[in-house]
Amino acid sequence: MIEVKEIRKRYRRRNVLNGVSFTAAKGEITCLIGTNGAGKSTVLKAIMGLTPVSGGTIHIDGQTLMPELYEKISFVPDHLTMPAGMKLSDALRFMADFYDSWNEKRADELMKFFRLEHAVKIGSLSKGTAAKFSLVLGLGQDSDYLLLDEPFSGIDLFSREAITEVFTSDLIQHRGVLLTTHEIGDMEHLIDKAVLLKDGVVSQSFHCEEMRSEEGKSVIDVMREVYRA
Amino acid sequence: MNRYLKLVHMEIHRFRWILIAMMGITAIFQFSGLIWTLKKAMAQFEEQKIQGSDTRKYFDSVPDTLTFEWAMSNTQMWFILPVLLCIAVLSLYVFFIWYRDWMGRHTFIYRLLMLPTARHNLFLAKITALLLFVLSIVAFQLVMLPVQELVLKLVVPAELRSESHIVDVININQALVELIPRQFEQFFYIYGLGTIAVLMLFTAILLERSYQRMGILYGILYLAGCVLVVAAPFLYFGLDSSIIPLYPMEIYVLVLLLFFVVAGVSVWLGSRLLAKKITV
Repeated sequence: MIEVKEIRKRYRRRNVLNGVSFTAAKGEITCLIGTNGAGKSTVLKAIMGLTPVSGGTIHIDGQTLMPELYEKISFVPDHLTMPAGMKLSDALRFMADFYDSWNEKRADELMKFFRLEHAVKIGSLSKGTAAKFSLVLGLGQDSDYLLLDEPFSGIDLFSREAITEVFTSDLIQHRGVLLTTHEIGDMEHLIDKAVLLKDGVVSQSFHCEEMRSEEGKSVIDVMREVYRA
Repeated sequence: MNRYLKLVHMEIHRFRWILIAMMGITAIFQFSGLIWTLKKAMAQFEEQKIQGSDTRKYFDSVPDTLTFEWAMSNTQMWFILPVLLCIAVLSLYVFFIWYRDWMGRHTFIYRLLMLPTARHNLFLAKITALLLFVLSIVAFQLVMLPVQELVLKLVVPAELRSESHIVDVININQALVELIPRQFEQFFYIYGLGTIAVLMLFTAILLERSYQRMGILYGILYLAGCVLVVAAPFLYFGLDSSIIPLYPMEIYVLVLLLFFVVAGVSVWLGSRLLAKKITV
């Protein structure tokens, strides 16, 4: 389980995170929701050790982040993080070289599923294709947790459908997924848990199914209550 | 393979075309300069033979027999220019080796920081790669010297040339004499001090990357602090070694120790910034 406790972050004289706490369990899809600038991406970066926090703790399966944990947790940022001059095949080789948890067979299957060509250079990929390849790099690892930052941002309908299909496949089933998205409409039926960020704190955290059955509200209904209040 | 070595390999792979281009430019400059100079010397010989008197058409004087040492002393600029170019490119690359990972749409630093290896390996891999670039260029220069001597033998007939010692050849050229140390102590000074300077710059860059605008100030202060530490004995005692109450050997050891302290602190601080403070 990913446990985020009271994390704080100040950026340009503004408290971006003001004591954020939530958990994301294995086998569940947890969605971090918030308006622009709410600090969703910062939370993901903090979990991955890509930005320091001024307070609070983050534990992954009870351990604080250490290099070995990058075998267990993979992060798909909102942009591709491989040099533009690399070919896709070079990027796959890079992953295979550095990660013991890299699953070459699965990566090949994903390349075929997304119809990606190995010889193409990363710099020439369109935004949608880059998002698909980012997902290949994230899912190609046999990791327990997968963090995704805006996986649908700025990509076309068909690419979005292809990525959504991955979320309903067994590629995701046994992992803990923590994602941020603006396009909650596309994801609502897929997510298990929603965490709503407002003013640098978690304003609501609930399991979507429970919310639907107990209070008859969808995630969007709760969002309206929180963000329009 | 160890992940540190894989990182070193990756850094070399990313710089390979620039390295090859630098070697190519160096070779083109030096060979063309050498051949052109030898051709001119040969033309002057011919002219002297025909006119039966001294001529100063190209050179003030051409010895009776040409040596590699003479050729080297008359091609100084052809050797110095590419060396200066390589130094300039490598100096810029000290900064670019870090900043390129943050630049562009595809910021590679995300991936590098998420590798399952201690982050100080990134720091060490980059400094190792830079050292290897410098040493490979020097090694390339060393390999070229016998080839250049062979070119001289091909251009100048045997009766018009005589042998010269490689050490004299290196000594006569202002660029080579600095690049190719003849004693280990000299090698240690030139390359050791260069490495420490790069370590300091790496740490200053990481300070800037960790603290953004304030980081620039921290970086400058850090560099100034390092210079102060190394210069401390001279600032304290003055530059006149005759009034320093220490033996020359003691001053030497003291300064050496301070250099090691600066190098150690730079590696420690740089690694710590990468592990705890760096932000993407």
